[in-house]
Order: sequence, then structure tokens, then C-alpha cells
Amino acid sequence: MTTSYRGSVWVMLTPAVALIGVFILLPMALTIWLSLQDWSTQTGFQTARFIGLDNFLEIFGTTSIGRDFKGAFVNTAIYTALSVILILPLSVGLGLLVYQRNVAGGNFLRAVLFSTYMVPMIAVALVWSKLYSPSEGPFNQMLGWIGLGGQPWLSSPGTALISIVFLNVWQQVGYFTVLVIAGLTQIPRSLYEAAWIDGAEPHQQFYAITLPLLRRTLLFSAVIAVINAVQVFEPVALITQGGPVGSTNVLTYHIRRVGIERAQGGLGSAMAVTLMLSLIIVIFALFAFARRKDEE
Amino acid sequence: MRLVWTIKYALAAGIMALPTAAFAEAVKISYLTHWAPETVALLEEAATEYAKTNPDVAVTVRAVPFGDLLTTLRSQGGGADGATIAGIYDLWLPELARDKLVAPAPETVATEVKGAWPAGVVSAASVGGTLYGIPNEIDVYALNYNKALFAEAGISGPPKTWDEFKDAAAKLTKKDAGQQGFGMINSWAAGVVHPFSSLLVSNGGDLVTDGKPMLDSKAAGETFQLYEDLIKAGSSDPAMATADANTTGPFLDNFVSGKTGMIIMANWWESALKTGMGEKFSNIATAPIPVGPSGDKPRSISYSWMTVVNAGAGEAEQKAAWDFLAWLNGAKSGPNGSSAMANILMSMGILPSRTSDVDAFKDKLGSEFLSGYVSVLADAKPFPVVLGGQEFSESLQQTIEALQYGKVSAKDAQTNAQTDAVSILERAAK
Repeated sequence: MTTSYRGSVWVMLTPAVALIGVFILLPMALTIWLSLQDWSTQTGFQTARFIGLDNFLEIFGTTSIGRDFKGAFVNTAIYTALSVILILPLSVGLGLLVYQRNVAGGNFLRAVLFSTYMVPMIAVALVWSKLYSPSEGPFNQMLGWIGLGGQPWLSSPGTALISIVFLNVWQQVGYFTVLVIAGLTQIPRSLYEAAWIDGAEPHQQFYAITLPLLRRTLLFSAVIAVINAVQVFEPVALITQGGPVGSTNVLTYHIRRVGIERAQGGLGSAMAVTLMLSLIIVIFALFAFARRKDEE
Repeated sequence: MRLVWTIKYALAAGIMALPTAAFAEAVKISYLTHWAPETVALLEEAATEYAKTNPDVAVTVRAVPFGDLLTTLRSQGGGADGATIAGIYDLWLPELARDKLVAPAPETVATEVKGAWPAGVVSAASVGGTLYGIPNEIDVYALNYNKALFAEAGISGPPKTWDEFKDAAAKLTKKDAGQQGFGMINSWAAGVVHPFSSLLVSNGGDLVTDGKPMLDSKAAGETFQLYEDLIKAGSSDPAMATADANTTGPFLDNFVSGKTGMIIMANWWESALKTGMGEKFSNIATAPIPVGPSGDKPRSISYSWMTVVNAGAGEAEQKAAWDFLAWLNGAKSGPNGSSAMANILMSMGILPSRTSDVDAFKDKLGSEFLSGYVSVLADAKPFPVVLGGQEFSESLQQTIEALQYGKVSAKDAQTNAQTDAVSILERAAK
């Protein structure tokens, strides 16, 4: 490698590396540093006092701080798992449906599905909070028409979180369907024709061709779905405020409450670092799972 | 030729007017509030009125939902770009003052406030003897009940004791019709904690005394037990109690639509009830909080709001802000010796706290709905304003909600509430 070539590599890389360093790596390093400090968000960094791992011991401890954090962590894990479990199969199903070339109005259906993703969350939250109204909401009225009793939806700790998951699935499934459709276009038709000649039934074609060849698309979808779900904030802030009984108190909302409302910057940073580490572990696990499948 | 001279004169006039125009926009101040659009419009009208005599100050108003107010203050309020003025809940003051987000009131303003407001209200707007805000509204809790539902259930009048309260709640409950006797509130810290605290003080108890939580007292234990009894008897349904970020939602809908017989709420929700109920608002009456077995007389909880000035704002902005606030809350900005602020508050059914405003609105405060609140004000206890108060309040909210949904017993709720409160207040005091 010549000197001029090495120099040009540095020139080309420096802007991107500098931007990533300033706007991504530096804030991450700062958050990790703050998680080891006793610090109020309303004071300068010079007032931070090093306390080692005390913030982490506190958030996993038995006081109200620990109890609330662990509750928010579990809520976030449940929300994320349910969102991914519902979104991925639904997006594959809808993608297969819309991708059928001989179905009239396929493009229109794609547009309709994707449109939910473009609606601002404030509008979604307003509408869905009314849809879920136990006394006057259309959902309970529809359940009444088929003889089923009304559900408490957002008004019960047993159903509030799943109600927020449904809202999320409704809004996001269109986006993931478009990803699946893009994946389906990459599968050669000749494979299906060969399978058809060999007498493979549609469900056999799905399990032997479609699903294996969609694996990379689904891995990407799963990663994005996990990241989106972990970052859930707006529906909780706009509709439930984390309640009832903390049943919808997710980590982003809780970190905002601790770090900003209560100005407990050290504790908030420890919670953010824990969330970041958990997310990294989950994403690595997903990639490891996909790699093992590839090797099989 | 004439056109050329006309242009020259116009340019000359424009150049001469420039310094005046620049001076007219010299100081820009902003006012952060959680009020609804119609109330914001009234505040903007008052600002326009102020600008007539103070053309050098321009006031803009910005509103956020109540649920976002503290976050907005915390994240933007302390900097030079944050709102110059903010309306805040007294519980937040100690920490905002500790973090130097709010400026102490100038001597002239402090002297005026100390002379024109009741001492208790002044003390809620002060930290360590220093006044930080001009008080405006005072809110107190009382029992609201639906007279039509009471008549249907054959109940002659509002309950005076807890036994009568439980009895009335049971008679008012019609599960098949989706009707509950007593409406609790959840998913909103003040909506959960204030009614509970009102029952607690009406039972002779206290939340905090001398900075120490008192939730392990006999009176507190009886209050937790009252909640458990009401839930177990089916007289109160937590699924009908949810509130949203705008402090509305099913708990309000159920009371407005006649599905809730009684509820403990503050005077400020008069406008929400009038809007939701129309003519049926005349069915709603106000009564003192029923007295518990350990209480001696009806008591309730009160709290106040105030306007504070951003300590990070420039000197000219701070000066203009205090001047505007002194005018807005002064006895000459409204009709008949009232303040412009009192007129805005009364449009929402909120009690003003300035002594001269209470006199100016004597007739309106004597309405059937508000007079019930005014009558309990004298025996109301201010909600404790302590460091860590917001966290304490949110923690107690979680415990009471767990009790509402049957996730803990009254005894465990009391133990958890006291343990959490001790830990939170001790940590905050460090």
C-alpha cells in the first residue's frame, strides 16, 4: 500500500468517522461515564461525583427505584417480544397476499397497508384511546354485537400493555410487509416452477423455498422490529402515562421520568446503559441464531 | 416628480420610526402553561391589554399538556432559550429552586405578595423564606355527588361519615347498569394521591409531618382499609377510573355520563363537568369529605399554583417578566378590583388565592358547586411541599393503584407506602 493511497483512505474516512465519533460514540461514552456518577441533570458535569456501581446496584435493588426499573424492564421485554411475534408472521402473510401477481388491486392494498406507518403517532394515539374506551369505544360495541362482554383494554393492568402492542402492530405491520414484498421479489420464479414440476404443494413450496430464502429479510425485519419496540415512547406518554399500576411503564418512558422529571441523571444513565447492553445482547443473539441456521 | 418626493418622505418617516419600532420589540418574553386553548386565548388577550401600556414588551404564550409540563421545564426551562415565565404546581418548587431553575422574586414583588395573599399560600410559593413565585390558583378537594342518582337510590343527603359513605356507595352501585357508587382515579399521580390524602386528613392523619412520612399511622391504615373495603364490596371499579395525559379520560366520562355516584375531585374541573354535562350539571353538588373513625371534622387537601420566572433568562427579560406578572396578578388589571389572572381562573371554575380576588368574585364563588369548595378551604391542609415530593407522590400512586386492582392487601399497601416514602424522602434530603 503506497503512502498516497493510505493518505487518501484517511481523507475519505475522516469525515464519517468524525461524525460518528461526535454524535454517536461520544454520547454513548458520556452516558456510560454518567452512569457511574451521582449527578443531577440540572447541574453541570463538573458537579458529578464518582460512586462506582452504586447506580446499578440501586436499579437492581429492592427499593422503589429498583422495583420500578425492573417492572419497566419486564414490560419492555414483553412489549418487544409480543410485537415481534405478531408483526413478523403477519407481515409475511400479508406480503404473500399482496405479492400475488394475479390479484387485482395489489398495489392499492400495498399503499393502504403502508399508509398506517405514515400516520403521526399523536393522531394514532388520539384515535386508539377512543377506540379502546370501555364504555363508548367501538371495540367493545363490536364485541357486544357478537355477544362477547366488553374488555377493559387500557383500564386494566392485565390488558393495557397488550392493547398498546396491538396499536403498535397495526401501525408497523405495513412497513414490514413492504420489506417482505421486497424480499419476495428476490426469489427466482424458476425455483417455484421446478418445485411445481416436482409436485410440491403450495405449503411445501412455502416451507422449502419462500421461508428459507426470506431468512435474511426476516432477520433484518426482526432487528428493526426489536429496535423500534424497545424505543416505544409516544403511545405510553400520550395515552397511559405508564399506568395503570405501572403496567405500561416502559423503559424509555421511565428513563425520561427519572432522568428528566426527577433530574436523577446518574440513575437515568445507568438505566439507559442497561437498556443499551440488553439491546446489544438481543441483536447479537438474533444474528447468532441466523448464522447457525445458515450453517445448517 | 410628486411621486419621487412622496417616496423620499416615506423613507425619511420610516428611518425616523425605526428606533421606535426596534424599541417596541425590545423585550420578548414567553409564558409556558398547561392550560386549554380557550384559556390560553384569555391569557393572550390579557397580554395584549398589557402591551397597550407596555409596548416595549411582547408576551407570547406556549401551552403543553399537564403531563409534559414538568419535563418541558426541566429540559428547556433553565436555559436562556427556555420560557421566561412558567405556571408551576407548588410541589415542584423546592427542587426547581434547589436546581436554580427559577429566580427569586424581586423585593417589590415579594412585599406586594406577602401583603395581598394569605400566609399559607405565600409559604407554598417560598423556599427557605425566599419567595419564588406569584401565587394564582388554589385548589381544594371535596366530595362531588350526583343528586339524581342519590334520589334514585333513596339517599337523602351526602354522607358525613365513612360508614355513611360506604353505605351510600353500596346503594349507588348497579353492576348490571355499569354504575359504580364511588369513583376512584388511576394513571395520574395527583388524581390518585389527592383524593386518598383528603380521606386521610379527614380521618385525622397526615402524609408527612416535619419532613417525615406518616403513612404508618393508624389513620393511614384505616384509609388504606377503606379503599380495600370499597373495592371488595364492588362499590368502586378501577376499570372505570383511568385518566389520560390531559387529566381527562374514563374517570371523567363515567362521572359526566351518570355512571359514577360520588367522586373526590378538586374545584378546577367545574368547566370540564359543565362542558360534558350541559344542563345536567345542575345535578352535581359538592359536600365536605366524609369524616373517618379517627377524625374530628371534615378536612381535605389543598394545593396551589404559581407563576415563576426563569433564572436563566436575561436581566431585561426577567425584569419584564416580573413586571408583567405583577400587573397580571395585580388588583387593577381586571374589572371591579379583581386581577386579570383571577378572571382567567374563574373562567375555569378555579379559586383565585389573592384576598382581593376572593372578595371581587364573592357572588360567583357562592354558586352551588363552588361554595361547597370555598366552605372546606378553611380546614384544608396543604399537600406537603418537600424535596422529593413528586417522586413520593408517584410512588404512593403506584401503591394505591395496586390496592385498587387488588394486587396488594390494605396492610401490605400501608407497609410498602411507608417504606418507599422513607427511602425517597431521606434520599432527596441528602
